[in-house]
Amino acid sequence: METYPRPKLEPNYKLPEEELLKPGHVACPGCGAALAMRLALKALGKNTIVVIPACCWSIIAGPFPYSSLDVPLYHTAFETAGSLSSGIAAALKVLGKEEVTVMAWAGDGGTFDIGLQALSGAAERNENFIYVCYDNEAYMNTGIQRSSATPWLAWTTTTPSDRPKEEPKKDIIAIMAAHRIPYAATATIGYPDDLEMKFRKAKGIKGTRFIHLLSPCPPGWRAESKDSVKLTRLAVQSKVFPLIEVEHGEKWRITVWPEKFVPVREYLKLQGRFRHLTEEQIEMIQRNVDEAWEKLLKLVRESEPCA
Amino acid sequence: MVEKGKIITFRSFEEVPPLPVSLADTLYNKTGGWRYLRPVYEDKRAPCSFNCPSGEDIPVYLGLISQGRFFEAWEVIRFENPFPAVTGRVCPHPCEKECNRNHYGGALSIHRLERFVADIVETELRPAKPLTKPEGPKVAIIGSGPAGLSCAYHLARKGYKVTVFEALPEPGGIMRYGIPDYRLPKEVLMREIAFIEALGVEIRTGMKLGGNLSWGDLRDYAAIFLAVGFSRNRALEIPGEDAEGVIPALEFLKTLNLEGTSKLKGLAGKKVAVIGGGNSAMDAARSAIRLGADVTIYYRRTRDEMPAILAEIEEAEEEGIRMEFLTAPVEVITQNGRVKGVRFIRMHLGEPDASGRPRPVPIPGSEYTVELDYVIPAVGQEPDLSFLDGFDELKVERGRIKVDSSTLAAPRIFAGGDIATGFGTVTHAIGSGKRAALAIDRFLRGEALTGFPPLERNVYAVLRPISETVVRFEDLNLAYYRWEEPLPPKHIPLDKRRSSFEEVNLGFTVEEAIKEAKRCFVCGTCVMCDNCLIFCPDRAISRKENGFGYVIDYDYCKGCGVCVSECPRNALSLREETSVQRGN
Amino acid sequence: MTGNRAVAYGAKLSRVQVIAAYPITPQTTIIEYLADFCASGELKAEFIKVESEHSALAACIGASATGARAFTATSGQGLLLMHELIHWAAGARLPIVLAAVNRAVAPGWSIWTEQNDTLSQRDTGWMQFYVESNQEVLDTVIQAYKIAEKVSLPAMVVLDAFVLSHTSEIVEIPPQEMVDEYLPPYQPQYKLDVNDPRAFGGLVYPSDWTELRYKIQQAHQEALEVAREADSEYGELFGRSYGLLEKYPEDEARVILVTSGTVTSTARDVIDGWRARGEKVSLLKVRLFRPFPSEEVRKALEGAEKVAVIDRNISFGHGGIFAQEIKSALYMAPHRPALFSFVAGLGGRDITPATIEGVLRYTLTHDYPEEDTIWFDLKR
Repeated sequence: METYPRPKLEPNYKLPEEELLKPGHVACPGCGAALAMRLALKALGKNTIVVIPACCWSIIAGPFPYSSLDVPLYHTAFETAGSLSSGIAAALKVLGKEEVTVMAWAGDGGTFDIGLQALSGAAERNENFIYVCYDNEAYMNTGIQRSSATPWLAWTTTTPSDRPKEEPKKDIIAIMAAHRIPYAATATIGYPDDLEMKFRKAKGIKGTRFIHLLSPCPPGWRAESKDSVKLTRLAVQSKVFPLIEVEHGEKWRITVWPEKFVPVREYLKLQGRFRHLTEEQIEMIQRNVDEAWEKLLKLVRESEPCA
Repeated sequence: MVEKGKIITFRSFEEVPPLPVSLADTLYNKTGGWRYLRPVYEDKRAPCSFNCPSGEDIPVYLGLISQGRFFEAWEVIRFENPFPAVTGRVCPHPCEKECNRNHYGGALSIHRLERFVADIVETELRPAKPLTKPEGPKVAIIGSGPAGLSCAYHLARKGYKVTVFEALPEPGGIMRYGIPDYRLPKEVLMREIAFIEALGVEIRTGMKLGGNLSWGDLRDYAAIFLAVGFSRNRALEIPGEDAEGVIPALEFLKTLNLEGTSKLKGLAGKKVAVIGGGNSAMDAARSAIRLGADVTIYYRRTRDEMPAILAEIEEAEEEGIRMEFLTAPVEVITQNGRVKGVRFIRMHLGEPDASGRPRPVPIPGSEYTVELDYVIPAVGQEPDLSFLDGFDELKVERGRIKVDSSTLAAPRIFAGGDIATGFGTVTHAIGSGKRAALAIDRFLRGEALTGFPPLERNVYAVLRPISETVVRFEDLNLAYYRWEEPLPPKHIPLDKRRSSFEEVNLGFTVEEAIKEAKRCFVCGTCVMCDNCLIFCPDRAISRKENGFGYVIDYDYCKGCGVCVSECPRNALSLREETSVQRGN
Repeated sequence: MTGNRAVAYGAKLSRVQVIAAYPITPQTTIIEYLADFCASGELKAEFIKVESEHSALAACIGASATGARAFTATSGQGLLLMHELIHWAAGARLPIVLAAVNRAVAPGWSIWTEQNDTLSQRDTGWMQFYVESNQEVLDTVIQAYKIAEKVSLPAMVVLDAFVLSHTSEIVEIPPQEMVDEYLPPYQPQYKLDVNDPRAFGGLVYPSDWTELRYKIQQAHQEALEVAREADSEYGELFGRSYGLLEKYPEDEARVILVTSGTVTSTARDVIDGWRARGEKVSLLKVRLFRPFPSEEVRKALEGAEKVAVIDRNISFGHGGIFAQEIKSALYMAPHRPALFSFVAGLGGRDITPATIEGVLRYTLTHDYPEEDTIWFDLKR
């Protein structure tokens, strides 16, 4: 029997073939951030400069003298992703190389907390770069301490189960929308085609573009590494992380209407960082998620052109 | 340019660059050492294929149909089963009962797709005359039913010189004589038999073993396969059953298929009772109604326990056949040796019997009589064992030839199909004939006949690398599939059905077939959907340079398991790394 | 023109390509002039009006790393806010030039001159030039780029608040073509380049760290010679050179007064007066503070019996910083003069000729200083 005919069906996702992430990097098994970078660079291509402030990717990028990326990469101080990227963008303009895309790639700590000033300053000036916040919802690189991106009631090492996080997650998209930047969006690894579309779209826009990427961290979320992609799907389907775009802070659009809606419990139960939740708390979370969704729908409806 | 995969050591400060800048990439770091679980590509058995009595590789051919690759789909079916046009029409399709799509919109119409492929390919193709006749050892096969012809087909494919002896004037066995045209048109059957003859198989009709063919005539054959099937009706064992007008179902159908409707014109307008609830009963009843009779089926259990294929029962009811349940005949009432009526007794359901179904128990004093012109008993079949007279090398148990799991009955004599197994369907017989062919091939090459699965399970003639673990619904990743329902069956108009033997079920159009085949999950079979490749955070997966499938670079794979999780169809497995390293 | 305007001209003539700056008194007019130059197109540069000094230096680092000539200016609190990145720029070996207007450090707001802000950066790896006049400001900015780009180290050009920044003096603006000849375009060996993708600043293990640090020190050693050459080349081309140090007058001296910044120009007059009276006193101006020209300092102070250092700064818990550096340079000298360390002029308190007279008198009338550090203008 020489050949056995095999069906070869259409791939679920058609992505560019180019690979700009090398194996041998030290991301944890199942790391959402590693996969996210791989997919983002596929969409952006070789003509990209990546700026990495202190975060997990400072380590995933590889120690001196090695690099896990096939594009130029600048490590920078924790709070400077927005400011350093502004400098690079300015230099590229002066040197006549504006076709090169600058991508700041910061964690939630370096975006929501310590890096917020530089990001806000850059956004106000409409600096020409794509700012990506890959959000694993805590200071994971330093050992799972809470950030303002940590979800309400989640366990972290600084919000132990006896007193889990008391504050709700900061709404970074609302903040970026308030800056009226040309493009802000959410994306995640469970929807690679939506992610690729958004990066490609962002690449073609000038000015400050912001992408908020949900990026599961198996050790930090106390989840199984094999569930990384599945968790992001559940996050979208449970409305915890809607996939949206906002243009100039005014036009809101949902880019992926979940194929089905699931209760938030389905998302929470796969993560040990929510293991301590009571029934009552889960119901409260469900209510919050539902309310936030309604508010989003209102924004989307108001964005639609009048008949 | 940054160098690839090198390890860099600085021996003195002079070698160090002026600032911390990269000089090479991270390929030096073989993160595969982190692994404690290892993903492997492992195609698994789909439940449809596991349950197919003729052992077809169903997910592969459904996938091929969805791509429009009909000829290749047909080839894949014919690795195992030479009669897709037949089984696509008459098989009770246990595959569909186990189809994982049952839980997500409805089972795939596998049998309709099998029929579609056979029809579209075989009507285009003409069987080629064999360029060389097979020169291998000679094998004799007794009976040209599904078991016999399947065995002939598989042996011929392996190069054996096969002669099939058939007692009746035309080949096909139960396929020709037991199944009416409206279910299986003769041209379709002959079309597929022609493909078998094209392999160099010789079919000699009018040759009955124990009649004009003796055991001595078979001396020169290196092996013999007995596939004579069940050619006799089981008796009702009630008084009056030998009266005129009592036509056993098999005989009724044989006359119809051998000589056409002319001999049975007498049934027009007459009252006919068909006794029984199996496929033969349906065949007889639906044939009778086409001959113009007024037909009622009498069955001793309820509709739910009827062994006939559900679609047959429904189509029979649509065609106007009445059914009476929980009733059994006790006597045929005759007048001048001719049927006048039947006395029935009502039944109720008691404890389950050996078949697992509730045992029907007569209700005393509930007898009643029905006036009838014809009675067609269809309560089961039996073998005609007359061919064993004077030949005691074979053991017979409960009316069947005793065989082992390789179908061996006696030295150099093999037996299969109903005569050995009694499983009662064309598809089982095809599987049995194939099993015998595999055994005969081994036997003639001097190999041991060990390792055959039990007779209740199927065998595969052609295997691709596959684990026999069966894929369950829970093993699939439904994120990649939509809920979709199957297309309903299509029939010719009812008036045509009642007045002719034209084929009742209409097959799929090309668009319909592709649409339906696209619903298939393709359980356990990699179709190169690229999910594993796309979702690997470590880029450890790439497409094979030559050939089908992917390769995992275990130098870098960390064993996170995302690939296994995101495979829609469970074509990957996670194994413990230490076991793999030990060689398990 | 004012010192600040001279800074702006220095940057313009150096054809800086990216400017990122945040306003702070008394630097503000520097960036206002630069904004004008950019807006009118006289200077083809991108001016990022950042939202803090920390971001200003971060942007300069990004720009310089990409291969553009970057410039910023700040003062006092702003310089302190940059501190984390001051270290970064040096470690990243980026030839950024920063004009630092010396300003006293809060709390207690003060906008007047003091050297603590820049001297707190002395360990970071930046070169530091302390200038005396507005002409020197303009010339040193241009020289700083040439030296910085040769040795791949950032450089601070330091000027006194208000005394220079907001005081007008005569400044000759050199012709652009001559500056272009002196200072060619910036061509870094390593830069962010999509055609040669590399990672910059990754994790360094202990096994590689020392060597990288050594290289920075090596660059500083090299910078002494490079700075000397750059200054003399500047002198040849433009007729003005300043040296790493300046001894005034060069004649043999019993007492040498060491100063930096604008105190130097006040001191020149005082020294002239004393020399006129026959006293053998000279002035040593320290212009290049980092790398510290220890060998040259030892040579310049050879033969002096006493050395008086005026520090417009204080390292709390120790003493005046220039004095410490001079003492440390003199430690290995075969003959060590008595060193009088004076702190004066903090928070912009004027250092008048009378102050300097007093310092010299004290030095001449004492064999040894009564205290390690003498707070000369302290109200007692």
